Amino acid sequence: MRLALRDPHTWLVMLAGGLLGLAGVLLALLGNPQNSGICVSCFLENSAGALGLHDNARMQYLRPELIGFVLGSTLAAVGFREFTSKGGSAPLPRLLSGVFLIIGCSVFIGCPIKLFLRLAAGDLTTLTGLLGLVGGVWLGLKGLAAGVDLGRAKKQRDGSGLWTPLLFVLLLLFLFVRPGFVLFSERGSAAEAAPLLIALGIGLLLGAIAQRTRFCVTGGLRDLMIMGLRAPLFWGFMVFVLVAFTVGLATGTFKPGFYGQPGAHLDLLWSFFGMLLVGSVSVLIGGCPFRQLIKAGEGDADAGLVVIGMFLGAGLVQAWQIAGTAAGVPVYGKIAVVLGLAFILLNLLFFRERAAA
Amino acid sequence: MKDRFDILLGVLLLACAVAVVGLLAGTGSQASQRDLAVDKALEQEIAYQAKVSFLERVYAPVLELRQQGQNESALLKLDELSRKYPTEAHGELLRGEILLQLGAKQKAISHLARAVRMNGDYVDRYSPLSRRELIDPLLARELADVKRQSAENPDSRPLKATLKDLYYLQGRMAGGCE
Amino acid sequence: MSLRITVCCFLVLLLAGCQGTAERPVMKIGYMNCNSEAETLARFRPLTKYLSDKLEIDFQAIPVDTQDFPERFAAGEFDFTHTNSLVYVIMRENQQLELVATEMRGNYGSRTAGAIIAKKGSGIETLQDIKGKRMIFGPQLAPSGFLAQYDLMLREGIDPEQDIAYYAIPSGSFKHEKVVYAVYFGDFDVAAAPALDLELMTKDGKITADDFVILGQSPIFPYCTFGARNDLDPALIKRFQQALVDLTDADTVDYQGETLKVLASAWIDGFETLQDSDYDYIREMAKRANMPPYQEF
Repeated sequence: MRLALRDPHTWLVMLAGGLLGLAGVLLALLGNPQNSGICVSCFLENSAGALGLHDNARMQYLRPELIGFVLGSTLAAVGFREFTSKGGSAPLPRLLSGVFLIIGCSVFIGCPIKLFLRLAAGDLTTLTGLLGLVGGVWLGLKGLAAGVDLGRAKKQRDGSGLWTPLLFVLLLLFLFVRPGFVLFSERGSAAEAAPLLIALGIGLLLGAIAQRTRFCVTGGLRDLMIMGLRAPLFWGFMVFVLVAFTVGLATGTFKPGFYGQPGAHLDLLWSFFGMLLVGSVSVLIGGCPFRQLIKAGEGDADAGLVVIGMFLGAGLVQAWQIAGTAAGVPVYGKIAVVLGLAFILLNLLFFRERAAA
Repeated sequence: MKDRFDILLGVLLLACAVAVVGLLAGTGSQASQRDLAVDKALEQEIAYQAKVSFLERVYAPVLELRQQGQNESALLKLDELSRKYPTEAHGELLRGEILLQLGAKQKAISHLARAVRMNGDYVDRYSPLSRRELIDPLLARELADVKRQSAENPDSRPLKATLKDLYYLQGRMAGGCE
Repeated sequence: MSLRITVCCFLVLLLAGCQGTAERPVMKIGYMNCNSEAETLARFRPLTKYLSDKLEIDFQAIPVDTQDFPERFAAGEFDFTHTNSLVYVIMRENQQLELVATEMRGNYGSRTAGAIIAKKGSGIETLQDIKGKRMIFGPQLAPSGFLAQYDLMLREGIDPEQDIAYYAIPSGSFKHEKVVYAVYFGDFDVAAAPALDLELMTKDGKITADDFVILGQSPIFPYCTFGARNDLDPALIKRFQQALVDLTDADTVDYQGETLKVLASAWIDGFETLQDSDYDYIREMAKRANMPPYQEF
């Protein structure tokens, strides 16, 4: 079978990828940290800091893009009558998966979207992270093929899926009202931000289009492994990388090399393991951090729990010195990644439906 | 809304929402709230300003000696202060600056990189402690040279360490998420 | 079966015996005494043991007085040398000593400097103020305790032989500390102190930065240096050099029943390979000061 080029959905997916790549570079040019135009894990760490979940004064800002992703997804889902409350599938493992997703990302310094933004900007230190992500997706798929299943989500009463969007409405309110307990860094990478309304608008747009297309970076890799080149998500993902590369080249932000890259470190082995963790967790719970936000926005309470877990993880990686920095990966970060890999292996064992002997 | 109870719940919910929005919006204008509310951002700002002032006060003798051209005495003053504040990044930074002026480049780069590792404010555009104007030309001057020297002396551990420090500083100067 | 076991045991014992009786070559490393023979041996014997283990050569540590070093080296007493950088230059010029590695210690790493100090509040504020004053120097072959300051004074137009009331050199051990204390306690007005000793004494809390005025300090130049006889096998010199530059803070050696950190026990931060041309500033100073190896009468 070939890629369904006549299917408008295929083009919509590619449009989503293109917009994500464009926004990823443009947001950095508009003020977000270099190579971090879009980074769900960085945004979560910033937002967790803003809410007082950690005390790194350089990492505190309620990122409007993050709020936009969820609420854009909610608006699109409601608008197209796709908002459905569902949940009830392995809640606690999903919550912990959210924590470990951010641990893996923070050790690598970035979510899968940022991995490809960094790669498209010429950051060659991401190559082992890429290998890790692919390996993680492969491991997750192997698990699914071997009968691992967290359980099917059930349709629930409308209210349960609303809580995550409502939480983000509250965050939106905080963003504009700025109560005294919400912190906004005046130095450090969290002080680097694109103009609020532009960032929010881009977030809403990307959230909406990602809801319509189910765009997901690890999903693209997963579909490539399952369906081969006919997978629209893979092509959307390729367009994302290509656009980010082209715009980076045109705007002069493309600087190939191993050294002196922004927000990168040379602990390449731990980049590999960090992304291995992210890839495998993502496949097991049905999507990368970005996709979890989008799913939470369309009423998926399970994804909502993952988002809560990601917030928790975002606070912990900063508070417990887990997050990687340009100086490398701290020992607690390495331990946390190994624990994360043990967590995923245990889940593969526990949730495997074995054929009767 | 199917019955009176549903309607009652809806009205109460609306009242809650209005109350929350009203309260949140009002915190900025109500004098009593302003007095009582914990403005963490302000506290953080005060703590930071206090730290900057503290550093300026503690290291004032070092700066004074440097202004008088007495870099060697300033280094001794730093040695003395390092007994009291052994983990303070600002001492590392000043030591790096002085050693750079005295021509001990490798040691200077090592201290500057250590200072930035301990406190990212030194590569921050918005911090009063920023030393971007010092580090940027240092990278432009030294990176290519140290790279060449390191290639010529592949067994030299100090040169490798200096190159690693320079790459670290280059990465931090390039920005990105921390 | 029992015969096989007996034969095996015999072979094992035989092999073990062979290992124990293998003769290793013996070589000598001359270490320049900084303060005293006892201190020199205490510092450098663990390092020497480390080198012996690494190179499978039985190195012997020989403590040598600074003044005697060039002569004893010329007489062929040592294979490797550890001296200050001026003595290295002297032996390089006279016996073509090979440069191996330079020691790193203190603020300037593999470099050091010499300072001229006066007690704060003594009224001596500039180098020109030292004319007519009593001055104390470190040992004559100390590059950062004598040569650098002597040269600094000459460059500032002060003739140490004419323009100061008199100068002296302390006797016995710990000369560098003695010159600092001599000024501190008022026995002398001015002292020639190595920058490293000032740094270490300040770090130890023996003096404070406010006790003294640094009237002048020389540019930095290489610190203590390992050298090798030029007729040694270049491959051996390279291995010796590599063993030194590979040393890290964490490296240990088993010495007299204890496990010691090699660098810490020798009071060294590490080693670096410099070029002989890096020592040119010492040569220039020695020429200006009419000091060995360029002394003319």
